[in-house]
Amino acid sequence: MSLWVDRFRPKTLDDLHYHHDLSTRLKALAASEDFPHMLFYGPSGAGKKTRINCTLRQLFGSGVEKLKIDQRVFVSPSRRKLEINLVQSSYHIEITPSEAGSYDRVVVQDLLKEIAQTQQVDLGAKHRFKVVVINEADLLSRDAQAALRRTMEKYMSNLRLILCANSTSRLIAPIRSRCLLVRVAAPTTQEMQVVMEHVAKKMKFDIPPEASLQIAEDAAGNMRKALLVFEALKMQSPDLSGPLHIAKPDWETYCHKVADLIVQEQSPARVMEVRAKFYELLSHCIPPTVILKTVAEKVVQKVDEALKADIMHWAAFYELRMRLGSKKIYHLEAWVVKVMCLYKHFTYNFDMSEFD
Amino acid sequence: MSRKPSSSQNRSTTRQSSQKKPQTRIRTVKLDESSEPPTKKLRPHDKYEPTTEADLAVHKRKVEDVRRWLVEAFEGGPSRKLRKYRRILVLTGPAGTAKTTTLRVLSRELGFEILEWCNGMNDRNANKYVEDLDGYDYGNDLLSCPRRLPRPGVEAIFDKFQSFLTRAMSCSSIFNAGVPTASQLPLSLRASCSAPTQSSYSDNHAGCPQKRQVVLLEDLPNLLHAPTQARFKAVLESLCVTNSSSTPGPPVVIVISDAGLRAEQPDDESWDGGGSGRRWGRSEILDVRSVLGPELLASPYVTRIGFNPIAPTLMTKALQALLAKHFGSQVSGGKPPKEALDVIVETANGDIRSALMALQFACVSSLSGKSQTKNPRNRNGGKSAVAVLEAVTRREQSLVLFHLMGKILYNKRKRDPPISRISAREAAKERELDEKLADPPPLPRWLSHHERKASRVSVEAVVADSPIDSSLFGLYIHQNYTQFCDDIEQCEGVCDGLSWADWVGGNFNTPYAFPTMALSTLHALPTPVPRLGQKVCKPAWFDVRTKELEAWDAVGDVASWLAHVGINSLSGDSLGEDDIAPIGRWTHADIAMEMGGWLRAMGQSGSSVGGLALPSSHRLFSTLPWVSTLMTVGDAIGEHEDMEMHGAPEEDGDVRALHLSKDEEDDGKWWAEVDDIEDVD
Repeated sequence: MSLWVDRFRPKTLDDLHYHHDLSTRLKALAASEDFPHMLFYGPSGAGKKTRINCTLRQLFGSGVEKLKIDQRVFVSPSRRKLEINLVQSSYHIEITPSEAGSYDRVVVQDLLKEIAQTQQVDLGAKHRFKVVVINEADLLSRDAQAALRRTMEKYMSNLRLILCANSTSRLIAPIRSRCLLVRVAAPTTQEMQVVMEHVAKKMKFDIPPEASLQIAEDAAGNMRKALLVFEALKMQSPDLSGPLHIAKPDWETYCHKVADLIVQEQSPARVMEVRAKFYELLSHCIPPTVILKTVAEKVVQKVDEALKADIMHWAAFYELRMRLGSKKIYHLEAWVVKVMCLYKHFTYNFDMSEFD
Repeated sequence: MSRKPSSSQNRSTTRQSSQKKPQTRIRTVKLDESSEPPTKKLRPHDKYEPTTEADLAVHKRKVEDVRRWLVEAFEGGPSRKLRKYRRILVLTGPAGTAKTTTLRVLSRELGFEILEWCNGMNDRNANKYVEDLDGYDYGNDLLSCPRRLPRPGVEAIFDKFQSFLTRAMSCSSIFNAGVPTASQLPLSLRASCSAPTQSSYSDNHAGCPQKRQVVLLEDLPNLLHAPTQARFKAVLESLCVTNSSSTPGPPVVIVISDAGLRAEQPDDESWDGGGSGRRWGRSEILDVRSVLGPELLASPYVTRIGFNPIAPTLMTKALQALLAKHFGSQVSGGKPPKEALDVIVETANGDIRSALMALQFACVSSLSGKSQTKNPRNRNGGKSAVAVLEAVTRREQSLVLFHLMGKILYNKRKRDPPISRISAREAAKERELDEKLADPPPLPRWLSHHERKASRVSVEAVVADSPIDSSLFGLYIHQNYTQFCDDIEQCEGVCDGLSWADWVGGNFNTPYAFPTMALSTLHALPTPVPRLGQKVCKPAWFDVRTKELEAWDAVGDVASWLAHVGINSLSGDSLGEDDIAPIGRWTHADIAMEMGGWLRAMGQSGSSVGGLALPSSHRLFSTLPWVSTLMTVGDAIGEHEDMEMHGAPEEDGDVRALHLSKDEEDDGKWWAEVDDIEDVD
């Protein structure tokens, strides 16, 4: 027994519940002789990885499901040893290069070279090439992406790449142009309801349509989130009747309260308070970019029209600094202080003009 | 349980247990008795090592935890079945928190022998080692695969370790049959890679009738070497498994000192999108996770007890008791003054070993100043001893930081009105300084908001004088600047400066980061800074970062749990359909952000999935309650089960770093306006 998300994940392209056009195209591609490099992109929870796996199965048959986990050691130029987990079958290898941190170039280069230089040994295989699936490709460093681009041309005979990314904007243009771009859009509410009904049928119970609608709307196109919420709700109240209370994730409500703090008062003491909250969020593994984004969106809802653009501008500004810098709290706080300043000046000026 | 009552209760227990007496060994003995020959003064003998629990400065409940574990390991607890699961005890905590001493005290109390592993070499092998130096280069190979290079007579260090453990497990008689206790020459691990080892055992308690034994691993093999680490884990696992069927051998106690975080360490490299990148950055750190590995740590055979820094109250009592013991009923000749004791306790940061060293030093220094105490400047004599002590024992860094923060954050500028408490001499000094400062040229009209008076702080001198690296400096400024601002605009200047310096500096420490941060802070702070009795605190960043790393470990636990559940469902065909192992399907960020609700629901329903219980550590990241009261940043959310145990000492710990002693604080002159040390000279 495992998570419903994992358990009821479709195995073949025919099983997929939505994006049927895409499925037929993928099927046709898999059947043709020259399968291209591919780049799947779309919002998280849309079903990119599910589609990648279905495509692999279509390419090689059920053999791709015989997975094993390998631990490989790579040596970085500075003689540090990196241990990377690889999930592989005899037809494909799946890697998550962000595991290697800033040494992802070494991993990508070494691994691809090695795979590319060995021929497919299984004579019964349907295709002569092996597939390398790179998860979170948009987190690859520039170095690694540049390394990838050479390899993609050089070893085309033995190797196909399938990249999986949230957006193409962080991939360099040469890679984008070498891949067939496949956009996997988020499912609509109706499509998500269909999936939930399917799951409920498999589990031999009925889901009231209101419940599924509410869950689907709350998940906003994230199928994985919807199924997780569904399962959690089912565990809490087995009949799923009555008004459902879908709790937002803790960290989200937390961020909203932080936004309240910022708008309520602007003082050095309040800065300390907000900092404490940020620290709490960070120590619960919420990525700082997500914190910044969620809080900024909430603050924007609460302030005057004239301030909104500025607040977002500074959020973007400090997010860039955060990515390039090393201590994230400095930049989060700098943004908060900036917003407080803007807000304070705005209300101050506003009051004055009204009384004049 | 709400936090309030538990912590107050805690304080009361602390008080109760504070009648306890000294603790840990003192390194050198005979502090000031000149009748002793000098050679004896330095013998590394633990004269004041505590022998009973009452002497330990450790919190009573910690000792109780360890004792209960040991008793269960020997007798199996009330149900007699626990014995099987009490295989490995891991004691963690900062250095000098009496981890090993607690074990030794309990060994005396419960009557068991400690078999201790020691990396080292004896004389014969040492010579051999010097003779064939060529072996040195093969160090690592020899360690990883000893059979590749068969060298007669030389056993790889790890093989020795392994056979030590096997012998300790199976036949205790070998150890009792008089192994020669050769000289113990512990080597640094690196150097001893290929060096032959020697297993020694401590036979302090050979006389006790029961032959109960505990294996103590403190001096671990070179675990930074990946193959050694793998073998080490395998050995430990075999300890758990083989003994579960037959009668188990002696339990194993592993002592690991925490190394702590460093400020220059950047935050995670791949934090923004998840992945699990942080795992590898930590592989260089020897902590309980890298020693044992997550699987072993989560297994029921391993128990972990964390020691906290020793609370100041406990430490004071312990030191006083030790002094009483040492000086006996003598009149207080040579006894260090009470203020000195306070300074020692305060500067030790919960490390009792260093406190004892400092105490010994205090005894010596006050002895040399004895002649002075007879003259009328009696009080001053005592004070000078304190000042010297402070200069010597206070961790150099914290003293420097203390002065540095004062200089920067008080932002004194030319012609600032002198503060009320200042002496005439100091005021004159300030005026003199002001004379020398040239006024900056006037700025054009459009830059007039940047106009400042000339600063009394010379950034060049500050940069040149302070040995503190810029990242630590930045963290301290960041932690404390808000108290010194009275307006949000000033905050903006400081914080933006920090952000800018961090951004430009990136992960590299540029030489410009320090002056940039200092200048931008000075520029943005108000002048003069309002004096409200601000206290400089240690950055909360360290605690938060530790908690964050723990939470990421918990995320890793859940990820591997998911993977195992997936594999179980693959093989366990309870569904009859071929599931795909969901590895790689879950990025760590997804788990942290999306699974919270599901995990909590799972935790409440208490069911297990695929026969595997959910790792309880998930609560570290899945629950995030909003605490509306204004709490101190360093405080933990009441999430850890053992919170009430270290509530009180930790609260002290947060602000401990930079406090001056109480009386100075009452003066309102908590800040070292003038360098006391200079005056002494």
